Amino acid sequence: MNDRALRVAGASLVAAVALWAGVRLFFVHPMGQSVAGIGPIPVPTDDTPIPGEGAGAEWERVGPLPQVPERLPPFTLADRAGKPRSIAEWQDKSLIINFWATWCAPCRHEIPLLQSLAAEWGGRGMQVVGIAVDHRPEVLQYADELKISYPLLIGEQDAMDVAGELGFESPVFPFTVFTDRRGEVVTLFVGELHKAQADLILSVVQNLNENQLQLPQARRSIADGLRGLAPQNRG
Amino acid sequence: MKALIRIVFVAAVALGLSATLNARPWWLRGADTNENDFLPPDVAFQVGSRIDGNLIRVRWVIADGYYLYRKRMEVIAESPDLMLSKPSFPQGKMKTDPYLGTQEIFTQQVEGTVVFARSDFGAHPLQIKVTYQGCAEAGLCYPPITKVLLPGSGVPLPQARPHLWEGAAILGGALAFLLAGLLLRKGRRLDDTPLS
Repeated sequence: MNDRALRVAGASLVAAVALWAGVRLFFVHPMGQSVAGIGPIPVPTDDTPIPGEGAGAEWERVGPLPQVPERLPPFTLADRAGKPRSIAEWQDKSLIINFWATWCAPCRHEIPLLQSLAAEWGGRGMQVVGIAVDHRPEVLQYADELKISYPLLIGEQDAMDVAGELGFESPVFPFTVFTDRRGEVVTLFVGELHKAQADLILSVVQNLNENQLQLPQARRSIADGLRGLAPQNRG
Repeated sequence: MKALIRIVFVAAVALGLSATLNARPWWLRGADTNENDFLPPDVAFQVGSRIDGNLIRVRWVIADGYYLYRKRMEVIAESPDLMLSKPSFPQGKMKTDPYLGTQEIFTQQVEGTVVFARSDFGAHPLQIKVTYQGCAEAGLCYPPITKVLLPGSGVPLPQARPHLWEGAAILGGALAFLLAGLLLRKGRRLDDTPLS
């Protein structure tokens, strides 16, 4: 092998190492670890790939996801008047359960949207329920200020426990659980929800309620639809 | 081969320049590569403390795209014999939110200091309790986090990682330098004659 071939081989090796390091720098998260996606968290189904196996590459990418239950767990929390209210009160409806707190700016951003969703979809068998994980006085004051008209349940550790039952041991806020009218969890959306996303999810839930779709199809349809929303249309 | 070397050379120069000048290459500007991920709270916000004379230094290292609210940061005594001053922080950035108003926030890294005194020195390990709360720019927040720290344990303070693009700039520059050398040497043969 002559000098020129050696130089080219050496340069290629350096370039390959630099390229590999560059790609690592570009695409590995700044702190080297990611947990879960902002957006819908997959609800495990029979055809959900097992993490770390074959088609489960996406699971590997996002790491351990919250184990979202198939059905909404039963729970009871105090309402604005301090009266215990069971979520089963709304069992015949599709629920939009929004977990929020007054100290969370994106949660505050969502409230006008939730108010409009309650008005727009309320007549179609959908019910918005807010769960404030916060101190009662602050929640009551803010709810009065914004004239929140949908039912609000309020709790601190007890509300955190409900979040835990939905698969979040260390919850982030806001997050919103969408169920069908049979009480099955259709999707759990993490982060601030925008109108285009909410409309997409609720249209699919409506189709599911009208038996035009099966649950696994509905979940796939939501996941694909949200991925397909252009960033400018998410808001 | 010549064309390939030129392409790699141009790419390396572009990478180096864009990383240096813009802290993000042109093809990723305007796109958030991590917008679909959120970090566990202890990765988004790392905290540590150490004793420095009569001060306790508490340092938070905050991941890119995340921030802490100044008014939600507290440092209080946990050991029964420990007395602490109010924590002192540098000036943060002001962030205005239409629903939350204007708040002082910290990004990247912040160090607070408290003056401490002990009435029963050595009887108890020195323990402090820190509370903090923050959010991600991507549109979510973490509940308040409370931790008990041992500033005298000798554990070093958390360090901010060098910015992602600093490494890319160095790599791009080094690669460009190497390839420029290769191109300039093209057609020349090494002269093995020793210098006199």
